[in-house]
Amino acid sequence: MFVPSVTNPIGDFVRELVPQVAAFLPASLQSDTLNSVVAFLINALICVVAVCLVNIGSAPILIYMERKVCAHVQCRLGPMRLGWHGTIQTVADVLKMLFKEVYAPSGADKLMFYLAPLIVLIGPFIVCALIPFGRNLVVADVSMGIPLIIAVNGFGVLGILLGGWSSNNKYSLLGALRSGAQMISYEISFAMILLFVVMISGSTNLMSITMGQEGTIFDWWVFKIPVLGLIAFVLFFISSTAEMNRAPFDIAEAEQELTGGYHTEYNGTPFAMFYLAEYIALVTNSALATTCFLGGFLPPCIGVAFIDNYLNMVPGVIWFFAKVYFMIWCYMMVRWTFVRPRVDQLMDFEWKFLLPVNLLLLVAGAAYIALVG
Amino acid sequence: MFPGLSIPEMPLAFPLGGMDIAFYAVALVMIVTAVCTVAVKNILQSAVFLIFSFVGTAILYLLLNAEFAALAQVMVYIGGVVIFVVFTILLTSHLGEDSFSAKIPRLFAAFALAVAFVVVMIKCLLPIESLKEGAVASPENYAGLQQMAFRLLGYDQSGFIIPFEVVSILLLMTLIVSITVARRWIPDDYKKEEEEK
Repeated sequence: MFVPSVTNPIGDFVRELVPQVAAFLPASLQSDTLNSVVAFLINALICVVAVCLVNIGSAPILIYMERKVCAHVQCRLGPMRLGWHGTIQTVADVLKMLFKEVYAPSGADKLMFYLAPLIVLIGPFIVCALIPFGRNLVVADVSMGIPLIIAVNGFGVLGILLGGWSSNNKYSLLGALRSGAQMISYEISFAMILLFVVMISGSTNLMSITMGQEGTIFDWWVFKIPVLGLIAFVLFFISSTAEMNRAPFDIAEAEQELTGGYHTEYNGTPFAMFYLAEYIALVTNSALATTCFLGGFLPPCIGVAFIDNYLNMVPGVIWFFAKVYFMIWCYMMVRWTFVRPRVDQLMDFEWKFLLPVNLLLLVAGAAYIALVG
Repeated sequence: MFPGLSIPEMPLAFPLGGMDIAFYAVALVMIVTAVCTVAVKNILQSAVFLIFSFVGTAILYLLLNAEFAALAQVMVYIGGVVIFVVFTILLTSHLGEDSFSAKIPRLFAAFALAVAFVVVMIKCLLPIESLKEGAVASPENYAGLQQMAFRLLGYDQSGFIIPFEVVSILLLMTLIVSITVARRWIPDDYKKEEEEK
């Protein structure tokens, strides 16, 4: 009987452990098939728990961080009362959100209304499963990582459109249509930059994209290809900001114009899920930027053996999360620094500037590969 | 039941274990969502059920080791086609206020037609010998991205380099045309008016 298996050193450990534990059970329960099924289920459970832990665990941290960064940009202190420097504040907020009553507005399409937050969460969770957090820490090491990421991005648009329409509210519908148009447009340049990364690294697997940057800090894709890598990184930063609907590209939920956009009518847990999806998207996009441009879990070696030895001692996960949080900090600084463009300016920016530049970048990258590397 | 129809022994045991169970589960979900797609009165809801049906198709491709086909299914149908369908539905007004309903004679005709179609399909499918063994998954990586790319870009007799290039030039053209269309175009007489001011 064929049982799918999770290929991973941790998976191997569980596969070895299960028969040893099973030896203590009564003889009627001992069979290789049962052992392999149990091992597979335990491995799958570990994978699911790991993805949920990274995603849901990082949300409160990010909310706290966002408040602090916002406050310091605006010369305030931010939350200070609960716990040391207000650290327990987010926990209290999350608890409050979870205990709120959940109800739909009258005249809303109930099925769609409660389905939309679930659909929005599909994309970020799948992307998180693909990202290599360390040499052996990747849930799904699939050969087609980048096409899969581009494919599941469509679910985000869908969830937002459904949520906005089913709220039975003009502001929500307007916000949903705006954000749908924006995300569809920016998805093109987002996909094209990932295509550029695939082109220069010669692989669609995120693990081999990371391993292609092994060496010193100058082997990361930002620096390895002179100028082009940096341009691609900046373009990725812009288009992923727009893809996530974050300020300055947050016309979808512009408070002053749309009272919150597509999630105006949501409250309690469904609203928390929209909020969660937004922050998970922040984590996954930062992780994607880290993997594709900043060397993933590789330490920033500088070519001096004495220093590199110490840098290599730090586990890859720590480097990975350090880079991810640096990227998140960049996204937050951009959010609280720049002003929001108008809808038509936003669309112009994508179709008249980003897309042509992306096409040129692809051509230049192809020329670079053909001539130099 | 029907003359000329002899039902062969279907493989109801699960020789492939997890894969078989996954297939039956996905097939069940696909059938339910497909029925919901046509049975639900609200068109937006039927679009959503259509998406789940497409996801089921993609998972079936994955079970057959056709990874690229699965991803193309998700990318093109869910990320593209259905999103545009949903957009179009959202922009039409009076959605779901007066639901479309067929008269009884027409309903009966449709039912008879559907049953006839199913009977013909089963009659054509049953004589196929290889069905008894179940669908055969392609060998590992045969339909993966790399093999697919090598076959698409092959120069030899089995390669598809020329159609691939033609299609990619067509797609590039549409992208560039969309950029050109998006550029602001000011009519000449409007320009003159502006200058006169």
